[in-house]
Amino acid sequence: MLKDSELLGGTTPVVAIALVLLPVVLPSAALATEILIFALAALACNLLLGYGGLLSFGQGIFFGAGAYLASLAMIHAGAGFLTALATAALSGTLIAAVVGALAIRRTGIYFVMMTLAFNQTAYFIAYTLDEWTGGENGLLDVPRPPLALFGATLADLGSPMSYYVFVAVVFLLIFVATKRVIASPFGSTLIAIRDNEARADAVGYNTKHFKIVAFAVSGAITALAGALYAMLLNFAPLENIQMSENIVILTVIGGTGSLLGSLLGAGSWVIISDMFAEVWPRWLIVMGGALILVVLFLRGGIWGGIESLAERISSKKGKPG
Amino acid sequence: MLYAFQVLNGLGLGMIYFLISVGLTIIFGLLNFVNFAHGAFFMIGGYLCYSLVGWTGSFWLSLLFGPLFVAFAAWLAEKILFHRIYHLPHTFHILVTVGIALILQETTIMIWGPVGKNISVPEGLQGVVTLWAFAYPVYRLFLISFTIIIALALWYLLERTRFGALVRAGSESAEMISLLGTNIHRLFAATFALGVGLAGLAGTLSAPVRGVNPFMGVEVLGIAFVVVVIGGMGSFTGALLGGLLVGLVQSLMSTIWPEGASLMIYGAMAAVILLRPYGLFGRA
Amino acid sequence: MKRREFLATGLAATSFLLAPALLRGALAAERPVTFYGVKSMSGAFASYGEFADKGSRLAIEEYGALLGAKPKYAIIDTESNPARAVRKVQEAIQQQGARFFGGCTLSSTALAVGKEVNKAEGIFMTPAGADEITTTEFNLSTFRWTVPTYGAIHQTVRPLFESNPKAKRWYTITPQYVFGEALLTAAKNLFAQLGIEHVGNSYHSQQEQEYSGYLTNAMAANPDVLLILGFGGNGASCLRQAANFGLKKKMTILLAWTQGLDWFQSLGPELLEDVYLGAQYWHQVQTPLNIELVKRVKKVYGINPNYPLAGDYVITRIVLDGIAKAGTTDGRAVGKAMEGMTYEGPTGTETVRAEDHQVIKDYYLLRGKAKSAMKDADDLAVLISSGKSFPEPAKRS
Repeated sequence: MLKDSELLGGTTPVVAIALVLLPVVLPSAALATEILIFALAALACNLLLGYGGLLSFGQGIFFGAGAYLASLAMIHAGAGFLTALATAALSGTLIAAVVGALAIRRTGIYFVMMTLAFNQTAYFIAYTLDEWTGGENGLLDVPRPPLALFGATLADLGSPMSYYVFVAVVFLLIFVATKRVIASPFGSTLIAIRDNEARADAVGYNTKHFKIVAFAVSGAITALAGALYAMLLNFAPLENIQMSENIVILTVIGGTGSLLGSLLGAGSWVIISDMFAEVWPRWLIVMGGALILVVLFLRGGIWGGIESLAERISSKKGKPG
Repeated sequence: MLYAFQVLNGLGLGMIYFLISVGLTIIFGLLNFVNFAHGAFFMIGGYLCYSLVGWTGSFWLSLLFGPLFVAFAAWLAEKILFHRIYHLPHTFHILVTVGIALILQETTIMIWGPVGKNISVPEGLQGVVTLWAFAYPVYRLFLISFTIIIALALWYLLERTRFGALVRAGSESAEMISLLGTNIHRLFAATFALGVGLAGLAGTLSAPVRGVNPFMGVEVLGIAFVVVVIGGMGSFTGALLGGLLVGLVQSLMSTIWPEGASLMIYGAMAAVILLRPYGLFGRA
Repeated sequence: MKRREFLATGLAATSFLLAPALLRGALAAERPVTFYGVKSMSGAFASYGEFADKGSRLAIEEYGALLGAKPKYAIIDTESNPARAVRKVQEAIQQQGARFFGGCTLSSTALAVGKEVNKAEGIFMTPAGADEITTTEFNLSTFRWTVPTYGAIHQTVRPLFESNPKAKRWYTITPQYVFGEALLTAAKNLFAQLGIEHVGNSYHSQQEQEYSGYLTNAMAANPDVLLILGFGGNGASCLRQAANFGLKKKMTILLAWTQGLDWFQSLGPELLEDVYLGAQYWHQVQTPLNIELVKRVKKVYGINPNYPLAGDYVITRIVLDGIAKAGTTDGRAVGKAMEGMTYEGPTGTETVRAEDHQVIKDYYLLRGKAKSAMKDADDLAVLISSGKSFPEPAKRS
């Protein structure tokens, strides 16, 4: 296994290489940007599901909230680029902490149903507050202001490629930071809770506290992804909130418990949907099938599959004679 | 008067919701299995009804064979797939059945096309019964009576037969059943087929009321889970009372605050989970 | 890195990079004018996209030379998701220099795609329902074929009322979102003008499947006419349940905005008999172009054209005509050429209003036929009236 503790080693160079190659091999920078944004959302979902064992069908709340609040901050309060992103991350943290605090009071199916109920509620709120959110029509004319710090413009993000570069940097920073979180005592406790909550409880950990913090971190990242998506599209549709199921699916297909898996999951989802959409509109069958296969045979998802394949090859080659 | 009629209508709706949900709760009760494909099986029941009515010209034949076919398919799926994942945490049940639901939805579009279909109300059950200024469809009355019969039959099956005793015992302790010499696999497969068959039956019966479309499964799944969670997962009585409660709330809300109907329903579910984790009628 | 890690990394990178490289090869830029159909081929609106795509394809196929070469067609699947649609349109603009787009049934998608195309100074024509396209969100690039909610109400409520002036009490059932509200507002204004008594309204959410509660409200108000303002799945469920509840015998039912033939087919004559239906397009209308269109579509696809097919057929043609008229692929010049253009469309002579890019065309009031009166499987309704009603164009900002 690639060690999570190696912050700049292990999977990090792979990600860095992928980030450089993505816009080169993909048909457009917009597509590459979308992959990274979904990968961020998957990464955040992975933090909950892969490391905390928490299956949240409420990730769309944070994604949608991030998109709306960053956009509203820019449209109504004249917020700049970074302020808008900070607004999104902060609100994502708060909303996720509240949702998490309520949902984690139950486990298993009840936990999942709580997150679903919150997702429905969030959808209803966004749908009803149409003066702010645009309701069904979505929030239009979301700006993408230049990257500025203390009044000094650092970069104009107007072109698709410059925006991609910015998103890629954000992705890399969050990837490394998340690895750091997972490698920290917090992360190992989270994993301990996932593997055996009763034992972690008995050892004296406040498991609820850890789960809420996991939610808050996940919410912040997801909201950030939502904000970046709104700026990519100049548009924040109501459908953002319904992304929850998709986020879960691409996280699982990529591989839970591996952050690189999230990038692979998002990448394959976006690329497959793009490729198949024109040839075979029923491509969701492939996704459904992949989901089942992953749970049955390939619990580590795409990344897990690649790892075990590599293991087989290297052990064969490793044998003398 | 309007409210009185909305109450009546809500009770009728509640019976339909009970039928939609009861299969889900039975499967959860015995197998501790969470089936997110329940709504998709409901949809398949509806589409089979459409096709069977087209081929045979008889709603009654489709009412017999549609659910049987769905139950058989479920039995097969259980043998091949589902029995492998019973022992896994709920999370994995959800992921697999979400996958199944996606496949069923897209396959339905491939077979029947993306446009919804209409299924005529069977002859003899068309028309309405008039009550004061209000009318109530005869078919819905039939649907309610039929559901009551199904509910009684299920109650008898679960409470008064050997099968039911085994199912109930199995939900307490699967090992005990095995020790008693019963083939636990067959029991599980039969229960799974029964629960999913009930989803198919609900789909068939609802088809003349709601028509069918490839995306109806999602909405039905939502309602079914709300009913089952409010009533108490795994509880037969819970599904009945939960269904009636949701039906009543929805019907009354359509007069009081229609926009908020879905909010109320999901809000109620969240409240129940927080305050009474095992539902209003469930046991811990 | 250990060798195993290195291998894993390599495998990951290859598998990840191989697929898009193939994809990229398939999407090389083309010389002739390419028209991009933005259609919902998958997802919840797949039923619409399939026909819309057929319409655009047909228009392209039968078009002769355009600026010296035969025009090409490319499809963008919206996946019934506005976000994906916008991203794919961005990509087409950036990578392939795409400028000419048509389609989008969903209002949110149409609005957002219109903005995106406007930034690239291209042309986007849509049959979407949102009035905002030609009013508050007007832009130079976007054109709209659909009669707005105002016209849909005026061309259905007015003729129905005039043919039956005793029907004074009307009840409305409205989906609560921007589009439903727009229809309701138009209806209320017209009620006041015609002296119709609006005896009540029920709102429902767009996801609603169960209408018994609202129909009960309607029964309690005892109206002469039930005006259903939901369309698509909302309208279908509402009408089906209204028929179940025996409302067809008690009152006249009007659906002001329907999708037309394909929607009628999915409901069948039993439900539609004697129900009044508003429509943007009807294949039986005897206009010169429509007679031709019906023949062509029958020959090519073996079906009668429906609204999505005819709508996307005509928007595709108009954009191509605009390019031909402007003699250039410069979007702004094409837009200018399209403004004020008058042409023979499926509903007769149609005009692109210069002020707000709204096409001025007929809207239809149909009535569902009894099964026994149908001459063929698609003869589901009879034309009652047709005409043009449009609000004054909004001031350009």
